[in-house]
Amino acid sequence: MVKVYNPKSLKEALNIRQNHLVTPYAGGTDLMVHPDPNQTYLFLNKIPEIKNIVEDSNYIRIGACCTFADILKSPIPPTILKDAINLLASPAIRNFGTPGGNICNCGGKKQTKGCKGCWNFGKSGGNICNGSDKSDSAVVFFATNSKLRIASSTTERIIPISDFYCCDRKDALATNELLLEILMDRNDYSNYYYKKVGARESVSLSRVAFAAIINIDSSNIITNLSTAFGAVSNVIISEKQIDKMLIGKTIDEAKKLKSAYLSAYERSVKAKEGRVSSNYRKSVCLNLLGDFLETKGI
Amino acid sequence: MIKFVLDGEEVISKSPANERLLDVLRNELDSKGVKCGCKEGECGACSVIIDNKLANSCLVALGAVENSNVMTITGYSKTSRFAVLEKAYSHFSAVQCGFCIPGMILASECILAENPDPTEEQIRVGISGNLCRCTGYNAIVKAIQLAAKEGRGLW
Repeated sequence: MVKVYNPKSLKEALNIRQNHLVTPYAGGTDLMVHPDPNQTYLFLNKIPEIKNIVEDSNYIRIGACCTFADILKSPIPPTILKDAINLLASPAIRNFGTPGGNICNCGGKKQTKGCKGCWNFGKSGGNICNGSDKSDSAVVFFATNSKLRIASSTTERIIPISDFYCCDRKDALATNELLLEILMDRNDYSNYYYKKVGARESVSLSRVAFAAIINIDSSNIITNLSTAFGAVSNVIISEKQIDKMLIGKTIDEAKKLKSAYLSAYERSVKAKEGRVSSNYRKSVCLNLLGDFLETKGI
Repeated sequence: MIKFVLDGEEVISKSPANERLLDVLRNELDSKGVKCGCKEGECGACSVIIDNKLANSCLVALGAVENSNVMTITGYSKTSRFAVLEKAYSHFSAVQCGFCIPGMILASECILAENPDPTEEQIRVGISGNLCRCTGYNAIVKAIQLAAKEGRGLW
């Protein structure tokens, strides 16, 4: 008989994670696509400490196991995140899926000693922890330079989300750790761009998902520019060095650099083959990037 | 063993905690109103309502519903809200082969529970995870609109 771990508190969950090889179960919406009867799940879907959406002086704090539906209902998360979630899967999946699982889920693959963990049940913890480049919510967390709060029963660390992904469907979560929160800096995210290209609007895996934030001050100077592409490569693409080409420039200067900026992305983006061809994915990326700049007056 | 409430009655499942709720409902608890379609959350045939939220029971592990309330079409069909939806679906001939209908009815319930007077767009979004290969959806959308009108005060 497979043991059941249904902790009621975070402390209890971390102690179980410390002492047993378990697969974290957040929402289940990725994990249960390919359930493995030999896995032992650590059910995290009823632990209140990791289901909050709050803000403090530094961060918007999104509990890894709040559901996508929770995020849509909360007044706290930025609109770019809600736009991405509104196009994610279906209402039933948004009711249970989590961003933490979306970040951590390892694509629903089985937990092994080499694979660090799987989060599911449609939660933010899951959408991040799945290590999938197709995680629509994670694309937004990349574009907003979000951080992840990770803990074991004895340690705690905060890392940039870009440091979390090792490679395709692998993440930096140790076998004794859990993702607790996604931390979004309290910046201005109101000037944004988000588009998902899929076979249809609902219940559709992204062929390309693109998120971008741009901040322009009263002197028309670009003070921040951050982009991210999902579903294109084995990990989410976020090219800070290329984006820096336009930061600190006026809109007029950025217009002159636009061609060089797009060329740099053309050289950089290595799109994968899959449900659609790599050439198609790359073309969509560059079209979206161009549309983003044009929309923002560049 | 996992304990939960199924259609208003407490049940105890002896299945493994990582088994799909869908399989537990159909195979162990003989709740055959829940249909098995795609087993990957795409079709909505296995929809149930867990703690007042629409869920794909194929993507829920049994252990996740410990102490939860699970409602299937079997339990829901005893309610006055179901009677209104049944009449509206019949009025528009919104049922053809019927395979999607248990899930579609439960999705309809969740749409109206959240918003008793939904727009057509809200209805279409609400059933977007429930596939029907027969009707083309228009009859179903009209049926939900009629149920909202005829059942005013119930939701």
